[in-house]
Amino acid sequence: MPGDIAVCIKQVPHPDCLAKLSLDAARGTVNREGVPAVINPVDRNAVEASLRLREKLRNRVIALTMGPPAARKALEDALAMGADYAVHLCDRAFAGADTLATARALAGGIRSTGGIALIICGNTTIDSGTGQVAAQLAEMLDFPCVTDIEEIMPEDGASLLVKRAWEQGDIRVRVRLPAVLAVNAKINQPRLPNVLDIMAARQKEIKEWCAADAKVEAGCVGLAGSPTQFWQAGEFHARRQGEILRGSPDEMVAAAVDKLKKLELI
Amino acid sequence: MKNTHQVWVWIEHHKDVINVGSLGLLGKARELAQQLGGGNVAAVLAGTDSPQITEELFSYGADDIYLADDKSISLFDSESCAGFVAGLAREHKPEIMLWGATSLGKEIAARAAVKLDTGLTAHCIALDIVEIDNVTQLAASVSGWGGNAIIRIICPQKRPQMATVKAGIFPPARFEKRQGGIIRVKAAQSPARIEVIEVITAPERADAPEQAEVVVAGGWGMSSLGGLEQAAELAKLLGGSLGGTRPSVDAGWISHDKMIGQSGVSISPRLLITLGVSGAAQFTSTVQSSKFIMAIDKNPDAPIFEMADLGIIGDLPEILPRLIEKIKAVKDKK
Amino acid sequence: MDFNLTREQEMLRDMVREFAQRELAPKALALDAKGEFIHDIIKKTAELGLVGIITSKEFGGTGMGHLARMLMIEELSRIYASLGFFFQTGQIGMYAIENFGTPEQKQKYLPALCKADKIISTALTEAGGGSDPSAIQTTAELKGDEYIINGRKVMISEAPVCDLAIIVAKTGDKFSAFIVEKGTPGFTTSGKENYVGLRSLPVGDLVFTNCKVPKANLLGQEGKGLAVAIGGISAVGRTGVAGVALGTAEGAYAAAVKYAKERKLYGKPIAELQAIQYMLVDCNMEIETARWLCYKAAVLLDQGKSPRDAGDDITRCKLYSCDIASKVALRAIQIMGGYGTIPQYEITRRLNDSIELFTAAGTQEIMKNTLARSIIA
Ligand SMILES: Cc1cc2nc3c(=O)[nH]c(=O)nc-3n(C[C@H](O)[C@H](O)[C@H](O)COP(=O)(O)OP(=O)(O)OC[C@H]3O[C@@H](n4cnc5c(N)ncnc54)[C@H](O)[C@@H]3O)c2cc1C
Ligand SMILES: Cc1cc2nc3c(=O)[nH]c(=O)nc-3n(C[C@H](O)[C@H](O)[C@H](O)COP(=O)(O)OP(=O)(O)OC[C@H]3O[C@@H](n4cnc5c(N)ncnc54)[C@H](O)[C@@H]3O)c2cc1C
Ligand SMILES: Cc1cc2nc3c(=O)[nH]c(=O)nc-3n(C[C@H](O)[C@H](O)[C@H](O)COP(=O)(O)OP(=O)(O)OC[C@H]3O[C@@H](n4cnc5c(N)ncnc54)[C@H](O)[C@@H]3O)c2cc1C
Repeated sequence: MPGDIAVCIKQVPHPDCLAKLSLDAARGTVNREGVPAVINPVDRNAVEASLRLREKLRNRVIALTMGPPAARKALEDALAMGADYAVHLCDRAFAGADTLATARALAGGIRSTGGIALIICGNTTIDSGTGQVAAQLAEMLDFPCVTDIEEIMPEDGASLLVKRAWEQGDIRVRVRLPAVLAVNAKINQPRLPNVLDIMAARQKEIKEWCAADAKVEAGCVGLAGSPTQFWQAGEFHARRQGEILRGSPDEMVAAAVDKLKKLELI
Repeated sequence: MKNTHQVWVWIEHHKDVINVGSLGLLGKARELAQQLGGGNVAAVLAGTDSPQITEELFSYGADDIYLADDKSISLFDSESCAGFVAGLAREHKPEIMLWGATSLGKEIAARAAVKLDTGLTAHCIALDIVEIDNVTQLAASVSGWGGNAIIRIICPQKRPQMATVKAGIFPPARFEKRQGGIIRVKAAQSPARIEVIEVITAPERADAPEQAEVVVAGGWGMSSLGGLEQAAELAKLLGGSLGGTRPSVDAGWISHDKMIGQSGVSISPRLLITLGVSGAAQFTSTVQSSKFIMAIDKNPDAPIFEMADLGIIGDLPEILPRLIEKIKAVKDKK
Repeated sequence: MDFNLTREQEMLRDMVREFAQRELAPKALALDAKGEFIHDIIKKTAELGLVGIITSKEFGGTGMGHLARMLMIEELSRIYASLGFFFQTGQIGMYAIENFGTPEQKQKYLPALCKADKIISTALTEAGGGSDPSAIQTTAELKGDEYIINGRKVMISEAPVCDLAIIVAKTGDKFSAFIVEKGTPGFTTSGKENYVGLRSLPVGDLVFTNCKVPKANLLGQEGKGLAVAIGGISAVGRTGVAGVALGTAEGAYAAAVKYAKERKLYGKPIAELQAIQYMLVDCNMEIETARWLCYKAAVLLDQGKSPRDAGDDITRCKLYSCDIASKVALRAIQIMGGYGTIPQYEITRRLNDSIELFTAAGTQEIMKNTLARSIIA
């Protein structure tokens, strides 16, 4: 394959801590204070998929993230897994991005990196989980895109064969390179880095780029470049006129079954 | 034909069957159009010329259909579809565009949003027309984390306002026999960079929660039962499907395709019984159109009771065997 | 002073934690019930570079150091102490060979040990008493180019499965250490003892009957065998046991906290009862204290201190950690009421494992003797 693989990873709150997240209702941003952060789980599958392709295609794997300074850790984890080097898009101007602005920053990073033939993303994140970034990134780069991928088979240098899932089964697709792929968790089990990989990760390069380095205008990314806006936070009300049964287990079950019977639900 | 305040719905279909999510969105689009002051609802349809489909679209709420009947247009090629629909939108300037949050629909919507340089809100659980700063606009609600938090997102400056919605959030509603106009359009085919080699349609899953009349949803509380045997028995007894929450999928009790919620399927059965499900917004938002919800949980403060029609506060190992026995007795009598 | 781990150490800890979640957590109960040596899982840890974590890269190790090793043992033992304990004993032998062996011995044995293709035991204890080395009755007599070894070692970790052993035997009135390979005529191992804890760790006897070992297998100088063995047992064995104790306590504590928050009595979680809170506070304090004693001993070794110079710190971490592990496990059992003693709740295992740690690598009383000697010296 004539070109490198870029793998996009996002740092997210630890899955066990999602319940502790809160929204800063004034700004519509997430309070992440005190919540440990990890690589978005399926993005590790994306790294794994990239590394497996590299083993066959002998190109380089470049880990890319847009995020605050602390997101560097996510890149270090990807480097320990085996990525060759990393690019950290880190600039206050990127903050508060919706998916369009996120994709714009990532597209800038990809263009400025140069020589990328394949971009692998996770299908969706666990914190906001829109699942839109991969396709938007593809559109901006004018690449084809396939999401929800469970299998990737390299063909010749110019295309890949992939199996994607959809609601009614699977679709096998041939996709021409350059392209963007988004993988789901079924595709592989991400490797654990071994001790030598962990120690070698420190020697690898992490390029820190601001908006100008990625050749994107500050006004097009981050909050300023986001067409969607947070308006308000509220409570979800799906209240029903519920009847709550009380009494002994036998009484409650008897009353419940009576009611279901009356309403012809059983 | 009135061109302003239009609400469009992208129609997903396969083998002459319309995705139920798309049908439900047509009904919702009617509501939104009315709130906007009585605009038209248009369905955007590509890759078929089936009269059944167009007829059905009218009866579920479409005023007009933009139809590209060229059968060579593949809905699996998000690039071409996005190009087609964005071109139309540039020309006719709809106010709002709605998409089913399906695997393929999301891809098309995301690409179209870039082409139109506008915002796209994902996995909405409610859509309302509101007035903010004297602008009448769409407020799209998505679920936040934990508990019942929701976040309302707007797109004040760019048009169209776009949102994706999971099937089941807005159940389809049939309107009286309606007639509308079909506007035939040509889709410029871009050279395909994606070649579909094989479409493997999974055999209809008879026990899929999203299709079942009765769903038993198991939550983390099932851990008190030492597994899912009893829950499965209840589902079988009621001829229903057994689904579950994310923790019960993580625990390996329930397969991933039966996960109910924002990251799984939305359901709208006649009867939903939840077993040890606390009722987080990511779950409840996708079951709200169930006709009748019965919840069993030992925590009287569990949010699930707020959206239940009938609640039993109790310990599952005590309640469930009795419930199974009692329902068996009822069935045996019949 | 900086109490932070390096980023590498943090990544190592996360990696081992995930490994333990993937490979041990779902199986721990079954592995404990079965009580078989888990060579397959150990091989996987070797692929991750964990077996050779204190062995130099030159000899096939990864050389990340003693604190990294402590973190690894802690994380593994949190889920399944038997695996943590494997590193305690296995690495004593590797340490001894690297620090006292000839270049040939290092080349010959270390790479295969790092890959866990070979398993090594280190044997001092005899039936006459583990605490008293002078009770060693095993003899090695030099005849030409060979030593002829006779005797029996008891309570030896991995004895039933070892491919080679370092043993300490009497040469005249002094002690010397030898490397004996499996298959050497006259060297046999006995079946395994049925211990209540550390169930995946096979413990048994090594038996020598006119076992001829080439002179080249002498480890270190003749007559300096106790120094060879005690150096390894101190730097690697005692810190290792301490790490196993720390992890075991953490595992028990985590289960107790979870249970206390979930179990409801009088309409609220028992975690709100002050009596329960006090027990949790005691566990928390003890674990935190043990952790820093353990980390400090490891850091000193990483700084190049000899086992002797770091001796007091090593002794303290072994003594304290092994002391609190069983206390924490017992409190966890108490907090869990009647469920605590049901093996499925995985707390009795913690207690069983923790009581194996009193004696291993030197008893608590011997630790106190050592520290006392240092205090009054
Ligand atoms: C509760 C909530 C709801 C939101 N809803 C919307 C919405 O409806 N519409 C909208 O436009 N924005 C929304 N946002 C903003 C959105 O979270 C951000 O745009 C975010 O930067 C990317 O979206 P995602 O996490 O949903 O990405 P997804 O599209 O789910 O991510 C898919 C993949 O893209 C890659 N990727 C995503 N982000 C990055 C990154 N920063 N660096 C590198 N790779 C990345 C990863 O490979 C990832 O697996 C929402 C935010 C919150 C908190
Ligand atoms: C981006 C994102 C997407 C998500 N997507 C989904 C999704 O698609 N689907 C989903 O389900 N979750 C999803 N979640 C997770 C969601 O927030 C909740 O964590 C989850 O729904 C909780 O599942 P639960 O009710 O089974 O477990 P819990 O919240 O742990 O509730 C267990 C319930 O069981 C009860 N219980 C316990 N023991 C007994 C007993 N003996 N008898 C009776 N009752 C008992 C308890 O009182 C409690 O109410 C998502 C989260 C995020 C952040
Ligand atoms: C799980 C496990 C694994 C082991 N693995 C190995 C191994 O791989 N290799 C190996 O060589 N050995 C091994 N041992 C043996 C261990 O080193 C001995 O058990 C230990 O040295 C104590 O010896 P003992 O059991 O003979 O007890 P004894 O030495 O008989 O001690 C009995 C009691 O007397 C106390 N005592 C002894 N001397 C004194 C003193 N001077 N002052 C105060 N109190 C004293 C002890 O503390 C103890 O309470 C292992 C033991 C266990 C439990």
